[in-house]
Amino acid sequence: MVSVLMIFSIASAFAQGREVSGTVLDATLRDPLPGVTVLVKGTTRGTTTDLDGKFKLDVQPGDATLVFSFVGFTAQEVAIGNQSVFNIELAEDIQSLQEAVVIGYGTQDKKEITSAVTNVGTEQFNRGNFPNPTQLLQGKVAGLSVTRAGGNPNSQPTLRLRGISSFGATQSPLIVLDGVIGASIDAVDPNDIESFDVLKDASAAAIYGTRGAAGVILITTKKGSSKKGVSNVTINTFGAVEVPTNLIPILSPEEFVARGGTDYGSRTDWRDEVTQTALNGTVNASVTGGFENTNYLASVNYRNNDGIVKGTNRETLNTRFNLNHGALQNRLRMNMGLAYTQTNTTDVNGEAVRYATIYNPTAPIFERDFIGTGESTVDRDTRIANANRDFGGYFQRPLFDYFNPVALINQQKFTNDIKSAIYSYRMEYDLSDKFIIATQFSEDRLSVNSTEFFSYQDYNVGFGRSGSAGQSLFNRTTSIWNGTIRFQDEIFDKMDFTFLGGAETQIFNENGFNASSSRFLFDQGANNLGAGGLRFGPGTGMGSFATRAVLNSVFGRANFNYNNTYFFSASVRAETYSGFGKENQTGIFPAVTAGADLTQVLDMGPFSQFKPRVSLGVVGQLPPSPTLALGIFGNGNRIPLNLAEPINSVFVGVNQLSNPNPQLKWETTQELNFGLDYALLNGKITGTMDYWRRNISDLLFNTQVPVGAPNEFLPGNFYTATTIWANIADLSSAGFEFLVNVNNIKLGAVNWNPSANFTIYRRTTIDRIGVGSISLPEIRQATPGSPGQNNNEIVWNRVGEEIGNFYGPKFLGLTENGEYILSTERPEEFENLGNGLPTADFGFSNSFSYKNWDLNFLLRGSVGHLIYNSFRGFYENADGASNTWNSVVTKNTPTNPLVTSTPTFSDLYLERGDFVRLDNLQLGYNLPVKSAAISNFRLYAGVQNLFTITQFSGVDPEVRWTDDGNPLAPGIERRNTYFVPRTWTAGLTFTLK
Amino acid sequence: MLRSIKSLFVGGLVAVSMGSCWELEQEVLTGVTQEDLANSPRPELIEVLKQSAYAAVVGNWGGHGGMYSINEVSSDQLAIPQKGADWEDGGIWLRNHRHTWAVGDGAYNGAWQYCFRIVGETNLLLQQYPDVEALGAELRVLRALAYLWLIDNFGNVPIIVETDRGGNPPQNTRAEVFAFIESSIKDNVDLLPKTNVKTNLNYWTAHMILAKLYLNAEVYLSTTPGVLDPSKGRWADAEAALDVIINSGQYSLTPNFFQNFSATNANSTENMFTLPYDANNAGGFNIHHMTFHYVNQATFNLVEQPWNGYTALEEFYNSFEAGDLRKGSLREGIQRSSTGVDLIDASAEAGDPDGPVVNFTPEINQLAPNAFRQAGTRINKFEVPLGSANSLNNDFPIFRYGDVILMKAECAWKLGRTADAIALVNQIRTRSSAPALTTLDADILLAERGKEFFAEGQRRSDLIRFGKYTAAWWEKPASQPFRTLFPIPQGQLQANPNLTQNPGY
Repeated sequence: MVSVLMIFSIASAFAQGREVSGTVLDATLRDPLPGVTVLVKGTTRGTTTDLDGKFKLDVQPGDATLVFSFVGFTAQEVAIGNQSVFNIELAEDIQSLQEAVVIGYGTQDKKEITSAVTNVGTEQFNRGNFPNPTQLLQGKVAGLSVTRAGGNPNSQPTLRLRGISSFGATQSPLIVLDGVIGASIDAVDPNDIESFDVLKDASAAAIYGTRGAAGVILITTKKGSSKKGVSNVTINTFGAVEVPTNLIPILSPEEFVARGGTDYGSRTDWRDEVTQTALNGTVNASVTGGFENTNYLASVNYRNNDGIVKGTNRETLNTRFNLNHGALQNRLRMNMGLAYTQTNTTDVNGEAVRYATIYNPTAPIFERDFIGTGESTVDRDTRIANANRDFGGYFQRPLFDYFNPVALINQQKFTNDIKSAIYSYRMEYDLSDKFIIATQFSEDRLSVNSTEFFSYQDYNVGFGRSGSAGQSLFNRTTSIWNGTIRFQDEIFDKMDFTFLGGAETQIFNENGFNASSSRFLFDQGANNLGAGGLRFGPGTGMGSFATRAVLNSVFGRANFNYNNTYFFSASVRAETYSGFGKENQTGIFPAVTAGADLTQVLDMGPFSQFKPRVSLGVVGQLPPSPTLALGIFGNGNRIPLNLAEPINSVFVGVNQLSNPNPQLKWETTQELNFGLDYALLNGKITGTMDYWRRNISDLLFNTQVPVGAPNEFLPGNFYTATTIWANIADLSSAGFEFLVNVNNIKLGAVNWNPSANFTIYRRTTIDRIGVGSISLPEIRQATPGSPGQNNNEIVWNRVGEEIGNFYGPKFLGLTENGEYILSTERPEEFENLGNGLPTADFGFSNSFSYKNWDLNFLLRGSVGHLIYNSFRGFYENADGASNTWNSVVTKNTPTNPLVTSTPTFSDLYLERGDFVRLDNLQLGYNLPVKSAAISNFRLYAGVQNLFTITQFSGVDPEVRWTDDGNPLAPGIERRNTYFVPRTWTAGLTFTLK
Repeated sequence: MLRSIKSLFVGGLVAVSMGSCWELEQEVLTGVTQEDLANSPRPELIEVLKQSAYAAVVGNWGGHGGMYSINEVSSDQLAIPQKGADWEDGGIWLRNHRHTWAVGDGAYNGAWQYCFRIVGETNLLLQQYPDVEALGAELRVLRALAYLWLIDNFGNVPIIVETDRGGNPPQNTRAEVFAFIESSIKDNVDLLPKTNVKTNLNYWTAHMILAKLYLNAEVYLSTTPGVLDPSKGRWADAEAALDVIINSGQYSLTPNFFQNFSATNANSTENMFTLPYDANNAGGFNIHHMTFHYVNQATFNLVEQPWNGYTALEEFYNSFEAGDLRKGSLREGIQRSSTGVDLIDASAEAGDPDGPVVNFTPEINQLAPNAFRQAGTRINKFEVPLGSANSLNNDFPIFRYGDVILMKAECAWKLGRTADAIALVNQIRTRSSAPALTTLDADILLAERGKEFFAEGQRRSDLIRFGKYTAAWWEKPASQPFRTLFPIPQGQLQANPNLTQNPGY
């Protein structure tokens, strides 16, 4: 009976249904689309298209509508009616790609965003030879400063979002790479980047809690195209030529001798000897493709960059594999991202750049080329033989701070072998059409093996040690796992509501190891440390360390959109960090934003968008080490317990090397942002404006304490170190940012897209320094250095003043003999001489197209910052030292009379750093392609740093946010600043289909 | 990796269960905690901790820029002439020599921190190990030594003991500090070991601290810095403390003066308390770098180039009588490489009468700004073996028996026993082949101490006790009496608002 019923029901179903069929095409390319989901609306019955884009499906009489959907394409609904053949064309979902902005744990429609977020897509990227991804953004985002002084391929750009956000904790924006928080920027090649989203204000960054206080840069890598079963292969390759520019003028050998310089009889252009025309090459190859609900990108990127200083090189091989797969009718979506980057760097002693500028221009490179007056042949042969033995034949003289730069480059070597791997796995599942749950696990691993080597003939270091070499290893692993749930619905008429809730745990592991030895019979580099006869004592070392910290978080975010007119959002993140004192481990970071597009309710004339918005958020900062709250006893002196047994009775002493502070807690940044998003003339002109105020409290800083006194943060403890990490200061800053884009200006057949942005800073001011009984009126930083300027700090950070003010005497003039007339020599009478940070930055991007030609360039600049020109501050005077060292004589050097005083800091050496630079320019030509195998072929050529307009007479007028990492001493151009290159590039890109 | 995943899993559960546990334990993977110290079964630990406290004394005494420097360079024996750009250093060493220092100059803060770090290390251990009696006594005496330096250099400093808690300590007067040092020694001296280990304090060196305190009582107990108060003199007490040392028979003068400063001076019978510098174990003594000319790298085959700084004043050079072997404390003459080749300064100043061959002659043409680079004689007291590293191996004598003899001579002379005093001084002179004295006065006694203790960090204190520190010499004009105390450093006034600046600043 049962089986009869079954047969009957099947038969009746069979009798009542019918088969429909058809083909789905890509609307643009008119190629068949495989893997398109075809569903009967309101049911789970459906199928997918085959490789030829064809499908067959049974439909029931009650079925009304078919839904055709595919990732990256706009879904289409088609009434079934009596039709039995459906030929469908799906259009790419350009709208969603353009408008979706990544905001952290999800995306948001751009029109709904009410905090300060800037999206930069591929089209807007800087074009040229940029090994570091953030250089693509330079000058593009108002409020984001990307600076790199000098042209060392191994120096990483400094990033600052809205100026100085802290001076004890990190000041660099958080990088989030495809959802991986804090990813190494090394892990992604610029060529693989689809877009950047810069979360500028605290309300946007608050979803990242403690790690977002310096702003957040979200990087989205390219995904596979989902068009069909055939792959696209894109090859991009270019060559670059770098030449040194803007060398500081120095005295010629004749001028040097005429001014009293020691004449060694030769003529050497040291900078010519240490620099080179660098030839660089880059190849990017990527394969993208898709089938069914799966798409992928596989890419390989190789970059080789020689520096313009001989001996500097950076070589990078990056591979990436992104895989997206949809299962269960695409309700379960899985993403996998694997990236591995191998970077090898070679560097020289940075001081070689300084010696190349100031080394005696009459000295020969080699001792054999020196001719001693009245010297016998025997003496000469002995002298040369000794130099060959001691210094590898190089000319060296035992003078203070005096090393042959060519020898320095050839007899010392510093390398890094950097391995960076990121793997991330994400799953997302639609519980219903309103609830989506997701989870992501990622690990970010960085391993750096550094070596240093000093030849036994290297007069600078190796000679006295009879050769020295060392290696160090550093490993960092960050593991992150999160889970989120997302709810989205129209909760009542015209009110769209989205809620995101989640939890996350982040574990930070670091460890390192180092070893070095001295006294080598042969130069063997750092690869045979065992050959060093001395493994213990000065010039040798062995050590290791490890740290581990845990950060647990829960977070939630709610977005409301009423009728696409009124927008409101609120978020909160609570975090617990293991590295704080027990009472202060948990911090709560809330944010609220609101905005309204007034064009929806008012007649705004030419405006098609006029969206004022306001946002307020709180973000936090972590200290640089997780054990600062604890009393840790570290390694003290080596202690022989029995003096007669100086080896076998030794223990290493234990001393409290840093003062514990169990009251250590979060640094908090509160930011209020008023913004306006506008569009005029139907989107012809678009842009944003933002005004922001930032208040930082409980700033983390390693502050001075009265050593020896009781530790007021931990009763029973005593200060045994001179400083303690504590929450000690309040800062405030403000700024205004402006962006305008004009789209498609027609100049005859030429199409022009200009985009301009500028930022005005109210520099960060120190409102208060102090905690408990500690109260500091100022923090002095940065001495110019040796010779002779080791003890005079020139940047005084005072309460009530801006960070980065130079203090010193004013230069009033010169006596007839060229002696300084300074306003005072008493430090207590020194004056504020100005500030090393800019008051404004600007960028002006231009994109022209004419038929198949295109031209892009960026003008970029900063104003308002002073720079201490160290080369002038030490080496322009005709004083006693100028017979040893060559002098720089720039357009800013007083020459009548020559300064004869001993170099001393004053405002004579502070110069305005204002500059405009043609940062990059590229001309491209797209060949008209008729081949069946090639879809795109482009040739291009460009230049970076074509010209710089500035009054600054040093190496590079670029803003110095820090002094070798010290944020309290901005605006100093050190004497080891790498030369600035001009870079010419030419390359081609083609895509095979 | 597996551990990470496990932790992630556990951590994730914790995070998801929201609030059930918002407390995370911070692991310590490098270094040890107080609990580790408390639970250690190692019998050596207490000794290692004690020696770790002494390591703070070893600290940067023997390096440039701290307490040693401000005491020597502000004296009439040493200066750091400015050679063009080299050694200008914001003028702080010129100001130090001319007694015109500013309260913000960094070296004074360095000296303060050096002393107070010893106070902090000893207090931390005393607080942690209140019951270890022998340790406690020795650490309290070590702390008293730090306060001896503090009362001498800064005068009015806060007294901090292990029972103090929280907040900034109040300032104490110099008289209170005097009493604290005195009681610290008296209360603990009988608990100290009577073993002659030179790198630790013992029963006799504790008496030396007491003797130094009493010897300077006219300075330390005067209410006006720079004005001696003879009514406060404690000469007999000082002599009594010295007699304890002399009568112990533990120490004797070495036949050769320079044995006390050799690279292998650990067993000198004369040295009583030394800082056991060791290139490998305890670095930080680099007087060879501080004083020698750049070219002297080749003289001693040094690992690094010397700095050409500390130079002896001509008047001091000339003060040695003929035959006085102690004149060898000064390095003079043509400088040669270790293989005997004359060394040349390729950039010798055109006006330098000594020419390009480096020749240390006593005259220094000027203090600043353009002293000739090879001008003046250099510190040659400490042996520098060939191939020396940045730090020397010589143990630095803080207290030595020669000082006991001359201090007793000073007490005897002050107490009117001139013949006794002359006999004692002549013990010292005879050892170094200097002609015996027949008369004695303050100037002779001060000069004798100067020749004996040159570059041992004592000169400033001696000059003050003899009322000569503020006098004029060479390029230093007469200075005001308040300069006999250094200023409370700017950084310390800021860090501790309870402190009031010393008078005059």
